Amino acid sequence: MQAEAPLLEVFNLSIRIGDGDRNLVDDVSFSVAAGETLCIVGESGCGKSLTALALMGLLATPPVRITSGSVVFNGRDLLTLSQNELSELRGDGIAMIFQEPMTALNPAFTIGDQIAEAVIRHRKVDKAKARERALDMLERVGIPAAETRLAAYPHQLSGGMRQRAMIAMALANDPVLLIADEPTTALDVTIQAQVLQLIRDLQKDSGTGLVLITHDLGVVAEIADKVAVMYAGRIVESAPVAALFEDPQHPYTIGLIGSLPGLEAGGRGQRLATIPGLVPTPERMPSGCRFADRCPFATDICAQTPPLRALGPDHEVACHHAPLEDAPRHDAVREGAAA
Amino acid sequence: MNEPLADTPVIEAINLRKHFVTKRPLFGPPTIVRAVDGVDLRIARGETFSIVGESGCGKSTLARLLIRLLDPTEGSVVYEGRDIAALPSAEMRGLRRDLQFVFQDPFSSLNPRMTVGALIEEPMRSHGIGTPDERRGEVSRLLRRVGLRPEFADRYPHEFSGGQRQRIGIARALATGPKVLIGDEPVSALDVSVQAQVINLLEDLKEEFGLTLVVIAHDLAVVRHMSDRVGVMYLGEMVEVGPAEAFFQQPLHPYSRALLAAIPAPDPSRRHNLAPPLVGDIPNPTAPPPGCRFHTRCPFADARCKAERPALRPAGEGRQVACHYFETLPASAGLPPPPVRAPHVERRFALYRALRAQEIPQGAPKGTPSRAIAPQSEQTSRGDQS
Repeated sequence: MQAEAPLLEVFNLSIRIGDGDRNLVDDVSFSVAAGETLCIVGESGCGKSLTALALMGLLATPPVRITSGSVVFNGRDLLTLSQNELSELRGDGIAMIFQEPMTALNPAFTIGDQIAEAVIRHRKVDKAKARERALDMLERVGIPAAETRLAAYPHQLSGGMRQRAMIAMALANDPVLLIADEPTTALDVTIQAQVLQLIRDLQKDSGTGLVLITHDLGVVAEIADKVAVMYAGRIVESAPVAALFEDPQHPYTIGLIGSLPGLEAGGRGQRLATIPGLVPTPERMPSGCRFADRCPFATDICAQTPPLRALGPDHEVACHHAPLEDAPRHDAVREGAAA
Repeated sequence: MNEPLADTPVIEAINLRKHFVTKRPLFGPPTIVRAVDGVDLRIARGETFSIVGESGCGKSTLARLLIRLLDPTEGSVVYEGRDIAALPSAEMRGLRRDLQFVFQDPFSSLNPRMTVGALIEEPMRSHGIGTPDERRGEVSRLLRRVGLRPEFADRYPHEFSGGQRQRIGIARALATGPKVLIGDEPVSALDVSVQAQVINLLEDLKEEFGLTLVVIAHDLAVVRHMSDRVGVMYLGEMVEVGPAEAFFQQPLHPYSRALLAAIPAPDPSRRHNLAPPLVGDIPNPTAPPPGCRFHTRCPFADARCKAERPALRPAGEGRQVACHYFETLPASAGLPPPPVRAPHVERRFALYRALRAQEIPQGAPKGTPSRAIAPQSEQTSRGDQS
């Protein structure tokens, strides 16, 4: 994956709301290559969806504004493009899948019309050709009786079908980059499995780069090549997926993985490791390390913002104390834990 | 009522049905959703019983029937030997002290115009428990117990996060000193780290107050962590019931297998083909398929499954399965064991847990719980509280 030139590169992206003095997304950088899947994972309010919207130029500005950074796609900085240029790109080179297909699809038009519209918008084709393409896409995403579903309105489809229809629409113009914001969160687990497998298969066929935003570490483990963990607007750890699960370094990542039922030996009866406290609100974003007030390892140095530093191949962590098992001040505890 | 027999169920559902009429046209038959369609269930004292299934399977309806938030169309619910489905509403109100409910959405289940203190006090007041002073003390104690500060009693629900509101909901449910707590997706609206806090809290409270927990959930990892026994529902029917451990090691019903296979494993080394041998969606509950309701999606279905409805029958080790062929199906792989971590990573996790354990807990220290204040009238009738 190293050899591939990145499809999308985000440099030092910072986003603010109104005239707040703290960034809601702070100095975030990442890249995605063709055929690669990057998962951005974090809890509510960590800034992952803001980041996704910024990539597509879909932020409500004002009140939200991008204060610094660049988003380079195919050699062009998307943040400098006009709305018209962005419209050309959206749905063609870059496509997006949203969490709730019912609100993302237009209830007044049939599925077939909506997919065909996306095709006509970007390709010089007539209506019949576009309709053909729509049918083709519905079949590709595994919608049964696709021919009749072309004439269906969104409310006539089940949640899983709607999400498939939206994927069909997103992929209708063979985008090279797909951004998916919690694409399976609203779905039942068996339908989620079908949709994830579908995304995986389509990606394998087309070599599309994928940025997937999720809060679900299970989804991350199933689909990611690399992962960026976000907390309170910052990337606190980024790593290849295997390294993140086998060798998590940031205390927040450790807390997240420890919170997952079913991952700790002992299973039933074992208390889950938790992260006490709450995610800071935008008005009360702490200075320095934003996780410090919830972190059991925090010391005075955590009043300074920790930079991301490499602890392994492609594995970066923003923590002063990583690797934690070698942090000197915890000798006593460490012996206690080992005993 | 000391030391009741372990096998007497606290709640027993017998042939329970709930049908909703969704459309009543001028001509022709009404459209009926059979949300719960003939469920038999015994929930043992002190256990955690989880009901799992996908949206529309009837699990939430079943939960509401169990404590009569809904009246059944047919069948009965027996609580401590009494059929509560047939109880006059005045008597039922008294029983509600024992049977409490925690709702999924802490944003819509708390009255926004009441303070947190009033919300928690309300169930005690309506059951005539304690004097106003005693009740106020109990509110503080409950708030502390669920990990919130007593001074939060004067605030309003909108001032709290999802996890805190769920704690308020739990404190409210505990206020009458219930014996059975039913949670309808009590943690599914919460972020994982907050979810873990609430799961830990529910487990502690269960132990402390000797509760029987009935949990409705769709997240099987949560269910596996919390449950003693599991029941799987599909289209209004119970298709498999059994001890959690055996269930997760080897699910028997084809639907249970598909459910487990579809769980994304939080471990990249176990990445698997996620396309389960399960096609399509859940059929429309107004027109469930004949025979076995699962046959339209089942990879093992044959002619018999299309014609004959399988009954829930014993499968050994306290398990029950509703499938004609479960004995002869190929063995299924359940959920794999948790991954083994490298020693230095395990040390890191141990260190994290050790440091967390040293922190001053948010709530009150664990100790002998003073059980809810005795009611003004029937002080002697609840001798099993200790």
